[in-house]
Amino acid sequence: MGKKINKQYQMKENTVLEIEDLSIAFGGLKAVDNLSFDIKEKEIFGLIGPNGAGKTTVFNCITQFYPPDTGTILMKNKNNEVVNLIGQKVHNVIRQGIVRTFQNVELIYELSVIDNLLVGCHIYYKTDIFSQILRLPRANKEERKFRKKAVDILKFVGIEKYKDALVGGLPYGVLKKVELARTLMSDPKLIILDEPAAGLNEQETENLSQLIKDIRDKLNCTIFLVEHDMRLVMGTCDRVCAISFGKLLAIGKAKEIQNNTLVQEAYLGKEDDMNE
Amino acid sequence: MKKLSIAQKAYLSYAVFIALMALLPVLAYYDIIQNATVDILSNVVIYGIAALGLNILLGYSGLVSLGTAGFMGLSSYFAAYFTKDLNLPFFLSLLIAVGIPMLIGLLVGLVSLRLEGYYLAIATLGVGEILHKLFLNIDFFGGSTGRKAETPQLLFGLIKLKHYEYNSFNSMFILLIIILGIVMFLTFNIIHSKVGRAFLTMRGSETCAQAMGINLLKYKLEAFAISTLFASVAGVLFAHNLNHTDYQTWTMVTSLNILAIIVIGGMRSIFGTLIGAFIVCADVLFLHYIPISGIDYILRGALIIVIILFYPRGLVNIFHDIKRLFRKFFQRKIGVGNG
Repeated sequence: MGKKINKQYQMKENTVLEIEDLSIAFGGLKAVDNLSFDIKEKEIFGLIGPNGAGKTTVFNCITQFYPPDTGTILMKNKNNEVVNLIGQKVHNVIRQGIVRTFQNVELIYELSVIDNLLVGCHIYYKTDIFSQILRLPRANKEERKFRKKAVDILKFVGIEKYKDALVGGLPYGVLKKVELARTLMSDPKLIILDEPAAGLNEQETENLSQLIKDIRDKLNCTIFLVEHDMRLVMGTCDRVCAISFGKLLAIGKAKEIQNNTLVQEAYLGKEDDMNE
Repeated sequence: MKKLSIAQKAYLSYAVFIALMALLPVLAYYDIIQNATVDILSNVVIYGIAALGLNILLGYSGLVSLGTAGFMGLSSYFAAYFTKDLNLPFFLSLLIAVGIPMLIGLLVGLVSLRLEGYYLAIATLGVGEILHKLFLNIDFFGGSTGRKAETPQLLFGLIKLKHYEYNSFNSMFILLIIILGIVMFLTFNIIHSKVGRAFLTMRGSETCAQAMGINLLKYKLEAFAISTLFASVAGVLFAHNLNHTDYQTWTMVTSLNILAIIVIGGMRSIFGTLIGAFIVCADVLFLHYIPISGIDYILRGALIIVIILFYPRGLVNIFHDIKRLFRKFFQRKIGVGNG
């Protein structure tokens, strides 16, 4: 279960995640450079930046796939304790209430949709391996309980009809939703979405935007997303953080970011560059 | 009538399968089939059990082991020693003879599971070969003569099992298939539980598994332990079935045969594994008509190549595909008729 959390860390009111002076370098390349920002409770927070800006690296640092070189990542976990995520085991991060999706959908293709969802609440299974192997009544009861929960979530996301279909043959838009539904199985406090709209058409993107808002409003989750699709970002996010080459450009309301000259330069280049 | 759940359907099919298998020694007793056939099928059952374990390891958790035969051998020697030399009752001996290799398996796993893919295969191959050499060179394992075992007596000698002696009912085979039934039941439960899903997630993507809170080392060890457990059970049954075990059986070839069982029969399928076991271990039933020595090796090798190239999901899918082909054929006919 991880070590006992030392409680000396302090966080501001109403914030879920506080990132301070985060840096990580791969060889000589500074992928993330002294990045600081915080995410408020029940906020939809977007992280944008041109290709290679280090967005996914930030995600991987938060979820401890990459140990950052410096910096702190504080999080108010499910029990409202402040935890430093750095140094936690990768598989224990989800227990604090952070769950993520992946840029390329990572589902288990041999399993049905509902079984994929059950992987999402892996950490909540209490029965030991022996009662599972012998299928004792308590293991059965637990399994039924989580199956019911999975069905409820599938209904919420609107893909209940695919419940027993194998993930292998489903269209990409549905797979994205399955992955999103799987994150909900762990009763998360903070959901990290890595390019949720990648590969979706306009209609699907609009649905997704609505779904993300629903998740925030009805399930009381905070959402942190990386996205290239500006329609989704501008339409959904309360605040947006723009980074380029691992450095912070600006944080603010979506409209402010859109009109920020630094951000425009990062995406489109300076006027001087064009002339040269 | 209430509709059966997937699990109940599966259990029912296993029960029917085991019941049908139980008819074989009866048929042999009345000389309808040969006793030798039942004896060959005993081997199918024993290697089938080991292969079911490897199927969980390779098919579900995506780890390779080429040391299966080593662990099978280890438990077979223990079974022989505990029942013949120490006169322990069968079930107690089974427990210890399976427990010790499992512990050793866990230790090996702790060290070797840091490796992946081919490297893990090579490491487990090494372990298998080390065990093979130990069997030959350490006195406890009886050197080149091996160890003698006995057909087990159950419930303090109340039930004396026998196998294919002349004019006797092969009751050892009944014990084998009952244990096979239990192993099938356990395998089904493992792969349809949280544990099986964790294995599959691990195989699909280790990053995803970790993000979902799956402790990789823990589940890799569990997969390794389960596969060693089944291999050890198979080893114990081998010793009691032949009343003998020696180093010549527990070679790399045996490990590779168990791997071939899965590849031919079909990964991630319980009946597929048994079909594979039948093809690999019972090929003598058909091949003794062909008077070429070594034909079984040649054909098995060819079959593996053909299956990997053209039928990678294994022979178990052949029924499904034939059914689909038939349906297509008839639909076309109906279509022509209407036109």
